[in-house]
Amino acid sequence: MICKKCNNDESTVLLRKKDYYCEKCFINNTNHKFRACIGKNKLFSSQENVLVCLSGEEGSTVLLNLISNGLCLENHKKLRINPIFLHLYNNNDIAEKVIEDCKKHDFVVYVVNISDYMSTTIDLPEPNSLPKLNVGTNNTVNIFNNLPATAFNDMFIKIKRTLFIKYAKVLHCNFIFTAETTGSLASSLLSSIALGRGSQVEDDIGFIDNRDDIKIVRPMKDISKEELHFYIKIKKLNIQHHYDMKKNSLQVLINNFVSDLQENFPSTISTVCKTAEKLGVASDNADNESNHKCKICESVLNIPDGRLTALQATDFSRIVSLQKPSKINTHDKNVIKIVQENQHSMFPYISAAKCVKKKGEGVMKIGAVTEDASQNGMPYYDDPKRLGKGEKRQQS
Amino acid sequence: MPVPCRTGCGNNAVLKRPKTGDALCKECFYWAFETEIHYTITKGELFNKGDSVAIAASGGKDSTVLAYILKTLNTRYDYGLNLMLLSIDEGITGYRDDSLETVKQNRDDYEMPLKILSYKDLYGWTMDEIVAQIGRKNNCTFCGVFRRQALDRGAALLDVKCIATGHNADDIAETVLMNVLRGDIARLKRCTAISTGSEGTIPRVKPLKYTYEKEIVMYAHYKKLVYFSTECVFAPNAYRGHARALLKDMERIRPTCIMDIIYSGETMSVKEQVSLPSQRICSRCNFVSSQEVCKACVLLEGLNKGLPKLGIGKTSKAKKMLEAYNARQMQENSLEQATDLEDTSKSIKDNIKDASNKCNSKNCCSGKCKSDASKQQNGNAKINKLLEQYGLDESPSSQKLNGDLSDDECSGGCGNSSSMPIGF
Repeated sequence: MICKKCNNDESTVLLRKKDYYCEKCFINNTNHKFRACIGKNKLFSSQENVLVCLSGEEGSTVLLNLISNGLCLENHKKLRINPIFLHLYNNNDIAEKVIEDCKKHDFVVYVVNISDYMSTTIDLPEPNSLPKLNVGTNNTVNIFNNLPATAFNDMFIKIKRTLFIKYAKVLHCNFIFTAETTGSLASSLLSSIALGRGSQVEDDIGFIDNRDDIKIVRPMKDISKEELHFYIKIKKLNIQHHYDMKKNSLQVLINNFVSDLQENFPSTISTVCKTAEKLGVASDNADNESNHKCKICESVLNIPDGRLTALQATDFSRIVSLQKPSKINTHDKNVIKIVQENQHSMFPYISAAKCVKKKGEGVMKIGAVTEDASQNGMPYYDDPKRLGKGEKRQQS
Repeated sequence: MPVPCRTGCGNNAVLKRPKTGDALCKECFYWAFETEIHYTITKGELFNKGDSVAIAASGGKDSTVLAYILKTLNTRYDYGLNLMLLSIDEGITGYRDDSLETVKQNRDDYEMPLKILSYKDLYGWTMDEIVAQIGRKNNCTFCGVFRRQALDRGAALLDVKCIATGHNADDIAETVLMNVLRGDIARLKRCTAISTGSEGTIPRVKPLKYTYEKEIVMYAHYKKLVYFSTECVFAPNAYRGHARALLKDMERIRPTCIMDIIYSGETMSVKEQVSLPSQRICSRCNFVSSQEVCKACVLLEGLNKGLPKLGIGKTSKAKKMLEAYNARQMQENSLEQATDLEDTSKSIKDNIKDASNKCNSKNCCSGKCKSDASKQQNGNAKINKLLEQYGLDESPSSQKLNGDLSDDECSGGCGNSSSMPIGF
């Protein structure tokens, strides 16, 4: 087969089931995609400190390789960043492999235990070594393990994000690189939507997460899984397969769905990613940015503006499911008023706990709330006048 | 072991609500179900007192429950609505003919006036005939586009303030997923709105927006409502099926995800820099459209010209098709004899086969479409550029030409236009 790019007839790389490339052109192309993604957005000044987060999976292994290649170049194409590596420790084998990989490239990697999420102090661990396990902190993971699989996966992503930012601050980095690829971003867009996080997709799936002062950047967002596999094969990289997600969850289901659909409709992933690029927050919510931010994910809280939303409708369903009809039954026009009186007792903690409670105490409850479809931690600001609005209009 | 009703009313529970997980007895479930819809209607400000409302009735569970509920709530809370049923007969044998019987039953049971409009009357084509043309793929495009407009026409005929449709929470969540998968950003933006309709059009409202499909089925079951429960015979090939399958799997793992998806749809919005098509009025039929000419008119034009794929896929393709069509016509008119014998011998067999196939469509086309076209023409002064250039239905004579030409279309579709005269 003839390479599409250079007409070399030794093409071994077949992408999208129709395009052939030779190895050299393919590697160049992948490098270019990575560089273009960073370059286009003109984020960095020269020699910026960047925290590169390595999970040990395929994506992060390739990211490590791309960065080390970029730094080696001596011409104007040299990647001018100062990378510092971080691995969140969850599994012995993987952590050791990540350390080994980084040593190969003469990079320094800090390995941090995932349980560090709960600790209030910040201890920078010794570089290039496994952290000592603190007996007390290990409970964290157990607490989260009690969550339903979907909520656990969701929480796990938020924990990782918090830890990335925490250590970026310690290590004086203004930017963070993570290794999500197009396929994983397409899946997380659908997962976000399925979890009620539709208003957060801009930060969760886009090129840059703007919620904190420290920006999370996804320089591999244009690289597909297919390309990763070829890259790994050609560069003979050593991969340790593992999977963080808990089974029987929406995230895993959606992952499988997206890859199945991609087989029959090859444009699925790119379409979904293009859709993600066009989505933002509802504009009426964008204004009240000032101090209403979720403590866990730093998203702007969606303050209800009087419009009926699915969240209110769900709450109402819970209320009526607990009421005896006899209390209100016949021809009572004030049904909404009665329900509204009960409304504030329904979620006593949703406004207070979700956003103000100290981390240690709130965790279990937050989990419960999360699974109750109240993902966005919306405080109850309902104005009593507003509730009766429809009713009044009916009467007048 | 019997479970007591969650409300503490003393009865035993008969079901566990999919939406909240609470076990309720029959009476409490009825009450909760009805009150929720009342809440949606009042909080969402769907109706004004004294409005005439058309209920889009298909005879299925959703519209049957909707009709029943609206009638109940209208009496219980004194909405003062004037309710009527509006049905569209797509002409699908083995599906719609049976379901319309159910609608007639509803009419008698709920004492509401019923208006039935058929595709045959409105467009000159039944879905059966359309499927014979277009095949099993893409036929939902025709049905959906035509029904949307047919409802508007029906509502205008009935002179109602709004149309209430039976879309439930599952439908809406499914649509959100489908629009994301297809990248249809404009629809994604408006598909979660509880009430849609811009200036000058008849708004549609979805009182069952937050009601789970499963609860609707249970409600209809316990209330012993009569409804029709067969899947459309043409539906299985639709792309929507993928989104539906995903949603069903997701619901099994986490039932609340349906409401979460709707919430996502409600809270996200399209970035300002993204350009969206604006809604306007079709210059041909005066109904809502996002283009100069609405999809229904394009699809219909395609059917009438024997180019059923005209409205499917990219508009650039449609332009090409029309150009090819036009070129063929010119060729006919100039009486240029084909000299291209090489091609002819190759495809002559196909042409004969196609010509015999097309005879049916030719008959139906020249007959029904003529009346339809003249009807449409009366209402319109402006005719769109695209169709102006190629519009054959402007005068009876050209309509005839259209019918005569439909043989040629198909040979053209096979890739050889000049061969036809020789084929005969």
